[in-house]
Amino acid sequence: MLLEYFKAKGLLEKYGIESVESKYVKNWKEASDFAKGKPIALKVLSEKELHKSKAGLVKLGLEGDSGIRKAYSELETKAAKLKPCNIIAQKIAEKGIEIIIGGREDPQIGKLVLIGLGGIYVETFKDFALRVCPITRYDATEMLDQLKSKNVITYNGKSTEILVSLLLKASKLLSGNPSINELDLNPVIIRENGYSIVDIRVLE
Amino acid sequence: MNWNKIHTLFRPQSVAIIGASRNPEKVGHVILLNYLNAGYQGKVYLVNRNADEILGMKSYKRVADIKAKIDTAVIAIPAESVPEVLEECGKAGIKSVVVISGGFAEIGNTKLQDEIVKIAEKYEIAMIGPNCLGVMDPRSRVNTLFLPMYKLARPEIGGVSFMAQSGAVGSTILDMISGEGFGLAKFISYGNAASLDEVDILEYLMNDPETKVIVVYLEGIKRGKEFVKLARKLTKIKPVVILKAGRTSAGASAAHSHTAALAGSYEAHEAVFRQFGFTIANDLSELLYYAKIFASESAPEGNKVVIVTNGGGAGVLTTDAIAGSRYLALADFGKQTQESLKKTMPPLVNIRNPLDLAGDADDGRYHDALMPILTDDNIDMIIVIILFQTPGADSKLASEVISIKERIEKPMIVISTGTEYTEMHKRMMESSGVPVYDSPISAMQSLEVLYRYYLYKNHKGQ
Repeated sequence: MLLEYFKAKGLLEKYGIESVESKYVKNWKEASDFAKGKPIALKVLSEKELHKSKAGLVKLGLEGDSGIRKAYSELETKAAKLKPCNIIAQKIAEKGIEIIIGGREDPQIGKLVLIGLGGIYVETFKDFALRVCPITRYDATEMLDQLKSKNVITYNGKSTEILVSLLLKASKLLSGNPSINELDLNPVIIRENGYSIVDIRVLE
Repeated sequence: MNWNKIHTLFRPQSVAIIGASRNPEKVGHVILLNYLNAGYQGKVYLVNRNADEILGMKSYKRVADIKAKIDTAVIAIPAESVPEVLEECGKAGIKSVVVISGGFAEIGNTKLQDEIVKIAEKYEIAMIGPNCLGVMDPRSRVNTLFLPMYKLARPEIGGVSFMAQSGAVGSTILDMISGEGFGLAKFISYGNAASLDEVDILEYLMNDPETKVIVVYLEGIKRGKEFVKLARKLTKIKPVVILKAGRTSAGASAAHSHTAALAGSYEAHEAVFRQFGFTIANDLSELLYYAKIFASESAPEGNKVVIVTNGGGAGVLTTDAIAGSRYLALADFGKQTQESLKKTMPPLVNIRNPLDLAGDADDGRYHDALMPILTDDNIDMIIVIILFQTPGADSKLASEVISIKERIEKPMIVISTGTEYTEMHKRMMESSGVPVYDSPISAMQSLEVLYRYYLYKNHKGQ
């Protein structure tokens, strides 16, 4: 079962993992109020569709009433086929490199935590590292070392500490919540000095 | 499972061969010959429902008729008779059994398998199998493998223990190991793992003082969480080289998350191996290369490698291999080494790494080149390339390398490529504890896994 988005967001916060400001919206007006003149993203959240971008369920960089209105109505049409679902409005994160942090319960091994090159390239490059929870700081560093994209996603080491800390928190969250079957934070937008989590998927 | 009980499988004072047969085509006949002809020193009792005498030895109808203490039983009879016989073994106080017989879970007969597991549990018998080759121990000459002696060579005594579910892969490896210089400590083919499984066997080998290196061919893990628990301790004690079959993970396409789609069952196993310092082999030859390096070499101080060669091209190829490694680096000579080499080397030898001693290099030149390197703190590992096709390389050179090897702690390996003449010297060096590789890549990979294992061990030991 997909955990409701704001419950999942709240769970992450309990472990010190922040994600971008978000709100469910029921019409374009609510989305526009949420935007307050700044660019936003609109997405359809449904258990039935994992690959949101590919399915055209993500509209990015929406600015101004007309843009928001048009995007909302398009998403509303698509959402009709994916019920039960919600349309969510999100503040746009600063640019960076997209990575994935995730986890799952392996029926034999137990809880696993994962980090890899993320976004739409996840399944193309399959550049990821995996460990059994709970992990140590040493394990987290080794995970980054293992990635081909290490220098890219750590900005040659500058964001290493942010990534290690995120991994340790994710491991704690996974170990501390036996009911979680699968976790996707994808993408996590990583920058030299910070990160933004743009999408959360927790399956129980 | 109790260590001493499992240990009786390898060191029984007495053994009952149940299903011993006078028919040379029967498994029970081959096993009997293994015990009689290979030097096993304990008592051997034969059990056969239909015989009073086999090969001139008394044969008993039932285990109960033996009326003497029996440590272990080897069972090679039709599957449906196993429960009854196992029950008799339990009553006779037998501590361990190897069930060679097939016809259990592997053909869907889980009911019969459950039945024998229950009996083993009831009498607390350490049971290997069913559907397996069983165990071999070159020290005690215990050998339950029903493979005719002439078909595969048997390894020498050594410190590498090998375990596999699969009997076929097991016997192939056994044959291959016997061609290598390192010897065998224990061999276990555990088949269906109905009672003793990989966790029990690994735990036994972890605590076995004769086992210095564990080599595993794995198809699946029955108790994953216990495996993880053991893995945390195991590799801090001794190196484990593992080859895991089953790379395709089924069902990944049905995943609900990217994480699950990426990280299937194979990846989960691999994650455990990586995290806990196992050395992962990708095929049988890597399995042997890595077993060989761990069997003879101890921890390097660092990752700096020197290459000494009598062939320029081979030196360059090996340099390329080291340069391509994420973990190894090429060493620079220390001052003393440089000065010493300037004095001893002929003018045509360039004093740099790789050190090309030229095609006419003989044992004397190798000796002069290697001496300062042995004590040079800037150098952690040594690759000696010997192309035996050159005029100067002969048996004297091979024995020079052996005698140097005996004096140093620093990892030192040889690369030699060639046929008969080379093979002969390769054997000579390997049987004296000098690992010989036939390609720069396999040499590099082996030094790399050696370095990485001790990196892990030193880190975790702190």
